Amino acid sequence: MTDFMWDNFFRRNQNEKDLARVLQKNFLFQDLNALELHLVERIVNIRHYQPGEVVFRQGDVGVGMYIITKGVINIYVEEIIPETGAQKMTHITQLKQSEFFGDLALVENNGLRSASAVAQQECELISFFKSDLLEVTNRNPTAGVKILLRLSEILGTRLRQTTTRLSELNPKPTPTGGSR
Amino acid sequence: MGSVRRGLIVEKRIKLFFFLVALLLVFLTITQVQNMLISTLFAVVTYNLLAPVVDFFERRGLSRTLATVLPFAFMTAGVVVAVVVLLPSLLDQLRSLQAHFPQYQKSALDLLHQLEEKLGQTVGNGTTLPIQARIEGQFSHLAEVVFQQAPEYVSSSLAILFLAPFLSFFMLLNGRDFLRGLLSIVPNQYFELSQNLTHQITSQIGGFIRARLIESIIVGLLTWAGLEYLEFPNALVLAIFAAIVNIIPYLGPVLGFLPVLLIGFSGGGYSSELLWAGALFLAVQVIDAVILVPFLVAKIVDLHPVVVILAILVGSQLMGIVGMIICIPVVASLKVTAAALFRHFTGFRSSQDLII
Repeated sequence: MTDFMWDNFFRRNQNEKDLARVLQKNFLFQDLNALELHLVERIVNIRHYQPGEVVFRQGDVGVGMYIITKGVINIYVEEIIPETGAQKMTHITQLKQSEFFGDLALVENNGLRSASAVAQQECELISFFKSDLLEVTNRNPTAGVKILLRLSEILGTRLRQTTTRLSELNPKPTPTGGSR
Repeated sequence: MGSVRRGLIVEKRIKLFFFLVALLLVFLTITQVQNMLISTLFAVVTYNLLAPVVDFFERRGLSRTLATVLPFAFMTAGVVVAVVVLLPSLLDQLRSLQAHFPQYQKSALDLLHQLEEKLGQTVGNGTTLPIQARIEGQFSHLAEVVFQQAPEYVSSSLAILFLAPFLSFFMLLNGRDFLRGLLSIVPNQYFELSQNLTHQITSQIGGFIRARLIESIIVGLLTWAGLEYLEFPNALVLAIFAAIVNIIPYLGPVLGFLPVLLIGFSGGGYSSELLWAGALFLAVQVIDAVILVPFLVAKIVDLHPVVVILAILVGSQLMGIVGMIICIPVVASLKVTAAALFRHFTGFRSSQDLII
């Protein structure tokens, strides 16, 4: 009985350490010190998903992001084929441990998910929602600013990548206008 | 694949069952345990009033526990000072009001009798309007409620006095953890929706309660200062009553002025004192409407006036004056919940505005 209690006590501590390690490794929380990380640890939720379970669906209102601590998540885009009207699921990417998804929902207001996320195997995810970001910013503005700066960096990088891809698709510059 | 799907459905149902049972237990505890509903209401109000202060102390580097203890210590000191300074005067005024109540009642009824006669003459020969008889019954009922049932409220308020701060302290200290714990048993399918709903409801209702409370305190202070300046009897009691009922939209200011009207009439009709008191209440309401409401309350909970009136009617039917005071936050929560559910279940699935 005593062993059982001690085992659980240390397992809890181990889980907390695991959570701290995963958060610290994540790009979004890399700048946080131990105290700020502890605040984030107390705010986030840990969710478990079975194989085939949907994390969110394309078209749902997005409320936040997820970090994968265990398992693999598949991202699909649902399309309707105009000729037949049938629904087609296109596999976009596969995300593994330490990767994250849904981060745009942290800055969008009632934006809708552009893809569906489905667990391929048993998964453990850390959810960090817009309300959690607001709570961090409210209780520790320095930590909030550090997270927001990292988030801006991610969004800036994505914007640059998108611009580059668009330029590659349309390589001939117009004679009158230049790009910035 | 079929067994996995069945397993998922069973797990979802178990989680949903435990979540609903937990919600039901919380609801039953609040509604069925004696004094719990009023204590919870006071605790929610105190929580929302102190939450920004606790967050402020936490931002300054204090631990959550110390940041929660400090405002409570200040609040307790404030309450003790207020009780020491104001309680003797408040009790004197309540005793005086109780002693003079039959006189106020008689004056008001005499005036109504005169009004009844005048109206009877205006309407037609021999027609009598039973205004006085109807109002007399209401007066007796009011006196019974205020002066006979009040001691019962005071005895139960002692329980509330200890229970409400106790609840609000733990709401401030662990309330978010409790909510997080409750949300952790929500099935994955409804997790985002519940988290979003909880955030929207708590932030909107918190803002609304803080705004309404600050508005009422300012209205009460202005009314008290004005009535003291006019040397109107029972100024403190009347100002406290006006501040409390001011929370009820539209009807509150009228209700707050009624006791002033009653006391004023006991002086023998339309005295200059009563007219000045009327002007004071009007001025306070203008300040409330022009300055306080646009800055504090507007846009926090956007409800149509017809909905507000209907909510007040339903609230008064179900729970009397307490119902009239709490109906607006309740309706606002229902509106936020309905809007979020509608958006969640009917969100259009076009490529426009899509995010990942």
